[in-house]
Amino acid sequence: MAETMKKDVILSVRDLRVSFRAYGGLVQAVRGVSFDLYRGETLAIVGESGSGKSVSIKAVMGILANNAIIESGEILYDGKDLTKVKEEDFHEIRGHRIGLIFQDPLSALNPIMKIGKQITEVLRLKKGVSKAEAKEKALELMRVVGIPDVEQRFEQYPFQFSGGMRQRIVIAIALAGDPEILICDEPTTALDVTVQAKILEQINQIKKDRNLSVIFITHDLGVVANMADRVNVMYAGKIVETGTSEEIFFEPAHPYTWALLSSMPDLQTKDRLNAIPGTPPNMIFPPKGDAFAPRNACALKIDHEKEPPMFKITETHAAATWLLHPMAADSHVEMPASLKARIERMKRSGGLNG
Amino acid sequence: MFKYILSRIGAMLLTLFLIMSLSFMVVRLMPMSLFENPETDPEIQRKLEDKYHLNDTIPVQYFYFMKDIITDLNFGISVKIRPGLDVFGILVSRLPPTILINFISLFISIPLGLIFGTIAALNRNTWIDHVISVLVIIFISVPSFIFGSVLQYTLTFALPIFPTLYDSQAVTFAQKMHSLCLPIVALSLNPTATITRYLRGELIENISSEYLLLARTKGLTKAQAIVRHAFRNSLIPISNTLIGMITGIMGGSLVIEKMFAIPGEGGLLVKSIFAGDHFLTVAVLIFYSAVSLVTILIVDLSYGIIDPRVRVGGGKA
Ligand SMILES: Nc1ncnc2c1ncn2[C@@H]1O[C@H](COP(=O)(O)OP(=O)(O)OP(=O)(O)O)[C@@H](O)[C@H]1O
Ligand SMILES: [Mg+2]
Repeated sequence: MAETMKKDVILSVRDLRVSFRAYGGLVQAVRGVSFDLYRGETLAIVGESGSGKSVSIKAVMGILANNAIIESGEILYDGKDLTKVKEEDFHEIRGHRIGLIFQDPLSALNPIMKIGKQITEVLRLKKGVSKAEAKEKALELMRVVGIPDVEQRFEQYPFQFSGGMRQRIVIAIALAGDPEILICDEPTTALDVTVQAKILEQINQIKKDRNLSVIFITHDLGVVANMADRVNVMYAGKIVETGTSEEIFFEPAHPYTWALLSSMPDLQTKDRLNAIPGTPPNMIFPPKGDAFAPRNACALKIDHEKEPPMFKITETHAAATWLLHPMAADSHVEMPASLKARIERMKRSGGLNG
Repeated sequence: MFKYILSRIGAMLLTLFLIMSLSFMVVRLMPMSLFENPETDPEIQRKLEDKYHLNDTIPVQYFYFMKDIITDLNFGISVKIRPGLDVFGILVSRLPPTILINFISLFISIPLGLIFGTIAALNRNTWIDHVISVLVIIFISVPSFIFGSVLQYTLTFALPIFPTLYDSQAVTFAQKMHSLCLPIVALSLNPTATITRYLRGELIENISSEYLLLARTKGLTKAQAIVRHAFRNSLIPISNTLIGMITGIMGGSLVIEKMFAIPGEGGLLVKSIFAGDHFLTVAVLIFYSAVSLVTILIVDLSYGIIDPRVRVGGGKA
């Protein structure tokens, strides 16, 4: 997929570092993240809770909390560095150029404003659309995201909507500004599985129809397989592995990616879930070396001492682990056998989407 | 919604009825004869006793008392303060200054409170916020009559800008207002501080809410998002504090009116209690209760109207 696409970079994040002032010190939430988003692709960012996914995209949207500091880096979009755009001007970009779908649809809507108004508000205020026209467009968007009885629903309040319906409304609101980039921050985490599948399908459809470029954030690799062209795996504020979906699922190189894949429930074999041992590090004092080493049973000595650089595996695939260093070849650390077996099965049963 | 309004009004009437009964009992059982004045003409005294069934048992008195009020707003006549005059008439004649200072205080403190609350919330944790917070604590915890005396001392005695007492000779509205300034200011400080405090809290909470973030990510400017979402949503819980504010102002005005010799209901209540003018006391008490109850009713109903969760959600409050 990604290979056949014309590589036209629409958004480029370069060495982004974001910290938060907190009581215990500086929380180094994002520590040098770089990635490109190509036009028309879906890029997934995967990682455990607290790995810095939301913080990275909040930096892109210019909605970081007040105690955040962008220590360095740039976010290049449309010839501008978004880290330098002033708050007074950012509203031109938010919603109209880059849309965001939130993690929690239950609290994302204004509880006392009619659903319809929450969708039309931007059209009326920012695009100067007439009231009737705005309503027409809002009803259309509600249909697009799969809301039944739109005329009636238009006049209702969030508390009259189920969680899944609210998330559809949030998507409709994000689409109202007609953005070219859509960022979805765990759009289905708060929803049950059947609703989740439907909404993901809807996002895929909308992406195709509107030719959007999508950044899709999740901690669920299972979701990624059906959505993404490329995947960034994030751990402790860094991207530790990046590659096409095929590369990440079939040829994972970083021990953390192995652990993530192993922790994925496998419906076919009813394998026991291998939860990743330990907890993510305290980001006020990020560990020296490879941040994942303390949780990695087969970590090398150097993993605890020196931070690994990104080693290029293919044109599209790279991982930050010393295992890829030529001198580590005789360490004989390989991915767990159970994971290997599972990947073989997946390959046989017809690839990712099968 | 209609049922909701009816049930609210019903509850209010029931409460008013209970308050009337209670105030009748309490005042009537107080150990002070209605007619201690030896100069009262025995003839008139007998007539009065007949009219109000004062020689009957308390329950019978109560029955006639309630009947008179409900059928023709007859609260009886004053026996001590303005002997022979209709209590309801006295009440009405005392209304204008009370209404004036209470309403003006209310209408000053609401916008001021909203302004200061917003300023404090938008400048959270800066020196501006801290200064406002300290003033808020002072104005909330110190009762209004203390401010009354401080103002009276500084601005009428030490620096005579305003008259010490209410100027009953005042003809023009401006003259009246001039002598009412200090009591109004004294009464407004507490409610202004109350609104400031609540709005600050509500706004800060709403500004850091997820839906405000959504309002911004969909492309509203920060100002648009704050005014259209955070501010609007903060007003709903604020409207509930209005009840406490209004009763607070009225309570304060009891003392303030006495202090500045304002010929209003507050002074009347205090005087009638000391004089043992029971009919008058009961009438003023009922007046105060009725005003509070109507306030609560209005706030409750408007709460139902502005909050869709109550309005559409069907009668639960
Ligand atoms: N306003 C803030 N102040 C201090 N620390 C913060 C703040 N916001 C985020 N952090 C910290 O930054 C780190 C990354 O948070 P982030 O929200 O990006 O995680 P995430 O990858 O999105 O996780 P999740 O899957 O739970 O959404 C966490 O350690 C978090 O505690
Ligand atoms: Mg997150």
